[in-house]
Parts: sequence; C-alpha cells; structure tokens
Amino acid sequence: MKRLPFLLATATIAVAAPAPARAGTVAVHVVDAQGRPVPDAVVTIHPAAGVPAGPIRFPWSQAMLQKDIAFHPSTLIVPVGATVTFPNADKVRHHVYSFSKPARFELKLFGRDETRSYTFRTAGAVALGCNIHDSMKGFIKVVDTPFAARTDASGDARIPGVTGGQARLTVWHPQMKARFNESTFPLGVPAGGETAQQIRLALR
Amino acid sequence: MPGPLLLRRGAADRVARSLSAKLALFYAALIALVVIVILAGAKAGIGSHAERMIRDEMVSGAAVFDRVTTMRYAQLGDASRVLAGDFGFRSAAATGDAPTIASALDSLRARLRLSQAFYVSTDGDVVGFRGTLASGEAETLRRALEDGSTRGVLQLGEHRFNAAATAIEAPTTIGWVVFANRLDGRELAELARLSAIDLSPRIVPAATLSAAERSGGIVEREAGGEDVLIQASPVASFRNEAPQMLVLRYSVTRALAHYAPILWLLLACGVVGVLAAAAGSWLLARRIVRPIVALDAAARRVAQGDYAQVPVETRDEIGTLAESFNRMVEDVGERERQITHMALHDALTGLANRTLLREHLSKMAARPASGRRHALFCLDLDNFKVVNDTLGHPVGDALLCHVAQRLSDFAGDGFVARLGGDEFALVVDDAQRPFDRTALALLGVVAEPCTVAGHRIVPGTSVGVAIVGADGTDPVTLARNADLALYRAKRDGRGGFRFFETAMDAEAQRRRQMELDLHDAIAEGQLSLMFQPLFDLARSRVSAFEALLRWNHSQRGTVSPVDFIPLAEDTGLIIPIGEWVIREACRVARHWPDHVRIAVNVSPVQFRSPGLSTVILQALADTGLAPGRLELEITESLFIDNPETTLASLHQLRALGVRVALDDFGTGYSSLSYLRAFPFDKIKIDRSFIMDLLNSEGATAIIKSITTLAEALGMETTAEGVENVGQLDILREQGCSHIQGFYFSKPIAEAEVDAMVFGTAMPPMRLAG
Repeated sequence: MKRLPFLLATATIAVAAPAPARAGTVAVHVVDAQGRPVPDAVVTIHPAAGVPAGPIRFPWSQAMLQKDIAFHPSTLIVPVGATVTFPNADKVRHHVYSFSKPARFELKLFGRDETRSYTFRTAGAVALGCNIHDSMKGFIKVVDTPFAARTDASGDARIPGVTGGQARLTVWHPQMKARFNESTFPLGVPAGGETAQQIRLALR
Repeated sequence: MPGPLLLRRGAADRVARSLSAKLALFYAALIALVVIVILAGAKAGIGSHAERMIRDEMVSGAAVFDRVTTMRYAQLGDASRVLAGDFGFRSAAATGDAPTIASALDSLRARLRLSQAFYVSTDGDVVGFRGTLASGEAETLRRALEDGSTRGVLQLGEHRFNAAATAIEAPTTIGWVVFANRLDGRELAELARLSAIDLSPRIVPAATLSAAERSGGIVEREAGGEDVLIQASPVASFRNEAPQMLVLRYSVTRALAHYAPILWLLLACGVVGVLAAAAGSWLLARRIVRPIVALDAAARRVAQGDYAQVPVETRDEIGTLAESFNRMVEDVGERERQITHMALHDALTGLANRTLLREHLSKMAARPASGRRHALFCLDLDNFKVVNDTLGHPVGDALLCHVAQRLSDFAGDGFVARLGGDEFALVVDDAQRPFDRTALALLGVVAEPCTVAGHRIVPGTSVGVAIVGADGTDPVTLARNADLALYRAKRDGRGGFRFFETAMDAEAQRRRQMELDLHDAIAEGQLSLMFQPLFDLARSRVSAFEALLRWNHSQRGTVSPVDFIPLAEDTGLIIPIGEWVIREACRVARHWPDHVRIAVNVSPVQFRSPGLSTVILQALADTGLAPGRLELEITESLFIDNPETTLASLHQLRALGVRVALDDFGTGYSSLSYLRAFPFDKIKIDRSFIMDLLNSEGATAIIKSITTLAEALGMETTAEGVENVGQLDILREQGCSHIQGFYFSKPIAEAEVDAMVFGTAMPPMRLAG
C-alpha cells in the first residue's frame, strides 16, 4: 500500500511528461481460432525498457456501474492502486463479490444510488459477480502499465505512445484457454509509427 | 361263405389284409402328418410368441431403466445444483479452501447417502473423492466436465457410477461438483425387479460388446447351451469417448422350457390320435373289404357256371354294386338260356333242330324199352324249291312255318324237329295207331291246301320211316336209315311213304362204294371209250363214230353205263368224266380221215356247268381237231332248266363249227318245239321207234314223218338200234340218212376203228339192196 502513492506519482509523471520521441502506436487485432474478432480482450504492453514512471491514468472512468442487472463496462481496466466505485443504478440491491486472488472482497447488498468502492492494489484479473444475480459478470483488469487497452466490438485495440523497442504484449480474455487466461508475446515496438499485430486466441 | 369256397378263403383273406393294411397305413400316416404339422406349428407359434414377449419386455425394460436413471440423475443434479448455488461453498471453492470444500461435500454426501461427492476444479484438482484417483482419470474427467458433460455413467477405477455434475460459477466456472452413486449389483438388481421377467441388467463398456450388439437391436446368441436374446441400449455416459451400454439378456430356451409340457401333451394326444385312426381305418377297411371278397367269390362261381347271387346287406355303394352284380348274373343266365335255346331250336319255326333231335333220340335209346315202340319219320317237302323260286322266299318261309305248326299239332306228345331246308322229322310212338297209318295220316296232314300270303298252295311230302330199335338204336344210324327210306320214297314217286329195309341199306352202301370207285376211275385209267360207227346209207360209208364210255373196274369188272352214268350225274362226277371223254374222243378222232366225225354224248349236268365251252375249245385246240368233226349229242332234258342259257351256249358252240345232234328224238315232251328252237344238225331217232318198225304199221309212218321233217329242216337223221335187215330196208326206204346198231356193228375199240376207217377190214354185213 505504501507503494501506491509512488506508483500513482510515477504514473502521473509519465502521463504528464511529454511523450518521448521514441514511441510508437501498437494496433492490435484480436481474433479467435475461427478468425472471428474477439471484443473485450485486454491488451497490455510491458516495454523491456520498463514502464514509464509516474502515475498511470486512463481516460475512462474507474467505475463499475451496475445497471439493468449487468456490469458496465463488462471489462474495466484500472491501474494498480486505483479505487473503483461501484454505483448501483438498479432498483434492486446487488451483492457484488469477487474471489479473484488479486482482490477478494464483497460489497454486500447495497441498493440504488449507493456507492461502494474498492481499491485494487494488486495487478491481475478480477472477476466480479453478484451473489443475487448469477447472470451478472464483470471483469476488472488491474494493470501496472499505462499501455493497456480493451478491444472493441471488432476486436481492435489501439495503444499509442508505446515506448519503442522490445516489449512484451500480453493479451487477456476471461475465456481464454490459457493459464491465468492470458498469454504473452514478445513485441517489437517501432520507434515511431504504428505496428499492427494480429493475435489469435483459443477461447473456451 | 359257403363250404366249397373255403379253399379260396386264404387268397381272399390276403387281399382283405392288404387292402385293410393299406387303408390303415394311409390314414395313420395322414393323421401322423397332421399331428406333426400341428406340433410344428404350435412349437413355432409358441417360440415366436415367447420371443416376441421377451423382446417386448426388453424394450420396455430398457425404457424403464432409462426413466429410472433419468430420475436418479435429476435427483443428483438437483442436489448438486443446490450446492453449486451456495455462496459459502462457492467462496470456499473460489478461494481454494480445500478442507471447507471437503467437509461440505462430506456432510452432503452423508446426508444424501451418496457414494461420491467431490469437487473438480478447472485446474484439475480433485477434492473430496473417496479413494484414489489415477491422475490420468482425473484429467479425463476434468476434460469431460469442461466439454459440458453433466450426466451419465462414469467409470472411475474399477467402479461404475451414476454421476451428475454442476458447474460452480463464481462468477465464472471455477470447477464442478460431482455427485455419484455406485452402479453395483444391488442397484441393478433393484432395476431388474422393475421388469416382469428377470432381464439380468448389466452396465458394460460398449467396447466390450460386438458390433451387432452395439447397434442397439436385439441379438440372438448361444451361451452356455441356451439360446439367449441380448439387447444393449446406450446409456448416458459421462465420458463420451468411453460409452457405456445397458445390456439386458434373457434365455429363450428357458422361456420355451415353460411350454415344454404343453408340447409333450400335444405329442401324446397326437400319438393317441394316430393309433385311433389306424385302428378305426383298419376296422372300416375290413367292413369294406368283406363284401368285396364276397363279390369276388360269387364272380368265380358265376364264371364256373353256378349262377350265384350276392346278399345285399347295405344301402351304400357296396350294396348297389351287389345288386348290379346280381342283375348281371341273372341277365347272363338269361342270355345263356337263350343261346342254348337257339343252339337247339330252329330260328324260323321254333321247332327243335337236328342237334336236339339227336339228343332226344339218344335219351330215348337210353330209356328201358317200355310197352310202346317209337319211330323216326323223316319228311321232305315235294317241290318246295318251286314255291321259293316262283313265290319268293318269304312265302316259302311262311309255308314252312305253316307246315311246322301242322306237324306240331299232329305230333301231340311226340317230338318234332326241323332238319333244315324243307326237311322235317317226327318221333312218335305207336300207342294210338300203327306206324303205317301214322305215316299215311302224316301225308294227309301235310297235303292239305293252305293259303300263304294270298297264294293257295298245296304242299306235298315224301316220308321215310325208321323204327327205333329195329332199324337202329343210335341217332346216327336211325337218321341215316330214315333218310334212305325217304330217298326211296321220293324215287318211287312223290307223295308216298316208305319204311326202311335192310336191302335199301345195302344198296345205299353199294352206291356209295361205286361213287368212290368212280371218283378214282379217271385217275386209275379205268375209263375207256368204245366207238359205234354210224353208217351213211347214201354214201355207203362210215361217216361217224359215237363215243361210248366204258368203265373197267379191277374188282367189279366191266360196269355198265346204265349203272354208273346216273350215279355220275347225281354226284357231279360226270363233269370231270365228261371232260375226259371229250378230250379222249377228240384225240382219237384226230387221226381219222377228215370225213369221219366223232360224236360225244353231253349230259345236261355238263351243260349246266359253266366251263363246258371252255373244255370243248381247249380239247379242240389241244388236239387240233377241226370243230366241224366234233358232234355233240344232247337230249331234250337239256332244255328243261334255263332254256335261254342253254340256247346261248349251243349257239356259241355252233358258231365254232361244232355240230349238235338231238338224241332220243320222239321220247320227250315236246320234241318238235325243240327243233324249232335250235338248228340241229342231226336228229337221232330213238331205238324204241326202230324196234316197232316190224311190228306195227304206224311205226313206219312215224319214221317217214320224222325223216321228211328232218329233210325239210336240212337235218340228218340217224336211226339207233338197227338190229336186222328188215329194219334197215324200211329205214332206207323211208329216207333215213344214217343208221347205227348191232346189225352194222357193235361198239368197237379204238384199234378196230383204225382198221375199219382205213379200210383194212370190211364190216360184216351186207349192204346191198
């Protein structure tokens, strides 16, 4: 927990500081074994040179909304140490829980307009469920790199400003048939410009 | 059956047995066949029924098992689902809290009385399994669970389980909880009790079964000496790569064994039936065969002439046959009587015939001599042929019937027979009157006029009488003697009767003997010709010779023509004899001078035979004699029968150049008219006229008239039997052209003829005057 502020700071600096000239964009297209695009896959890149210092900030809000008996978004990327709020927009109460190793917690029975929050201090994938509503499933990917994105409906994710050079590309999907549901590839990030990667996953 | 036929019984019995045996065998075989067919049908039917029943049970058994296990799975599934939803369990599972998981499962297992309740994580860890699980098995189980198996028979290690699994979602699938119950013998036994028959259900891996069994249909196999039906139906299997199947089996043999008593009973009934049929048909056959044997025996008796009748006992076909047989026997008997009657009686008149007469005579001869004598009267109707020819045969037959009736009435108790043609015979005794009066009366009875078919006829008859005993005892002798008497009666003038005398018999014998001798005369060369010259008064020379037949028998000596010519004519021997005479005459005359003719007597019998012209022609041709040198001497009697044919023949002969002379002129009925009928070359005046010449005046006048007549007609005249000069003178005076007689010359032999003709000897007579 002590590291958190440090991490935050690093992330912030990294964000605030202008991007170094040696950075490229990585465009990733994720498909499954049949070639169909895979949405809601999380792509993270860990450059070999290291993650830029400073706090990591993502443009999207760090809130997992419960609306219409579902989590929105279904997959949320938060940096390590982020506190995520869980607003309940439904008329019914939800009992959010997670047994994932990175974060084990319960938010018992809070109702509408009640918000709970939780701080995720460990990187990893967190599966959220509602004890009352079995159909509610959501994922929070706690990442320790600013280079993270989620594939859209067409399976594309674009991460700009990635430090050039060698890097490790990690793709995570909740249904991926792999250990910890993720697999990692080496990646060569160009100093400038874009590189496109197509990644094929084996899904359950 | 009657006594004498006991001998036949053995053969008849054999027939009976064989027919009975055949019938009995046939029906026994038939019933046996029927029984076999029934048995086979019953067995087949029972077999197919039992099999169908087993199959149906199997199908329903499989369905029941299916339903029961489905229910079990539902139970297990429900229980596991409850556990899977429990938040506490889920959190324990998600956090990997094995002890908690284990204890929760354990308590649940105990509660639900399950064999196994365990948890399999997505990583392949197994918690709560009782016993040991090979790692490979755990992995395959995990994979099966991952593939989505939630129900089915699961084989773990040695044991088989009914397993149900539910995924633990927290919130994603982190593992599965599996509830399982051992599928052991007890479980299956419980299932087995659900079906009506013990189908011995077992769960086996599909791989251990044959392809046919795996197909799911009912398979028939032989196991342990029995026929079993096996059906394997698939059961839900946890691991699809190792499917399990439920095997139901039932022994058909055992099922059928239950029906064995029925079949044995059927067989027993069948055997009894066959025996009954055999016995029954044997008895029936005997009943049928007995009358057949009786008929056979009767038929044999009938064949031997004993007209037996067969008793009619039943109304069926055998009875009808017996009746028909009896009728047939009667008809045969009747026909035989008719035939016998026809054989012994005359068809036309109904009188007895010759055969019956003979029998009657034999019987009479066999009877001891009573006071009365019997005689055989033979009748021959006079001139019956005339009636037949003039009035026709139907009238003739009617006349015969009339006569037959009269004779029957006359005979009374006596015996009447018709011997054939117009001959009748009577056998009468002398009780009423003596035989000669009987004969006389008989003549009168027959001679009564009668009207037949509108014609008035006066029959006449001649009667010959032979007395039984005196004139013979056997029928043959009697008949012969009566016949001889009849012949005598006819000869002595018609319309009379004669009794047989021994002299007649001897005469008949003599005649018979002469006939035989005459028959051989030609062959034996006993015949010879003598020639009597005819002297031509005008030319004073011999103009012709008459050939006269002589017979020199070795024992009889010389037989006079008077004795044998009539016999020859009666027997027809005159024809070959006459032929010989003509040939011989022509042969002899050939050598004579041309002016010397040969004259041959021709009897009417010869003329009646159709070959006479041929004979004459042949003789002339063979000998080379000129026809004009042959002269035939015929008498008037030739013209009595069939004058037209006779005339035609005469003209035919005349056309050849043969001369014809009328012999015995003046002795017949209508000599003059015959002269008109045919142009004779010569008239021969009978010797009776010549003999009278010196005795009566009238005789000369007759001679004169004949010679005048002959001359007028251009015919020669020859006087026969000239014996003295006085006759000769008158004849010469009256203009007779030729003479013949002893005065000139008696008949001489051939050698002497040559002498006379060739002039070496002169006739011993004076011809001057």
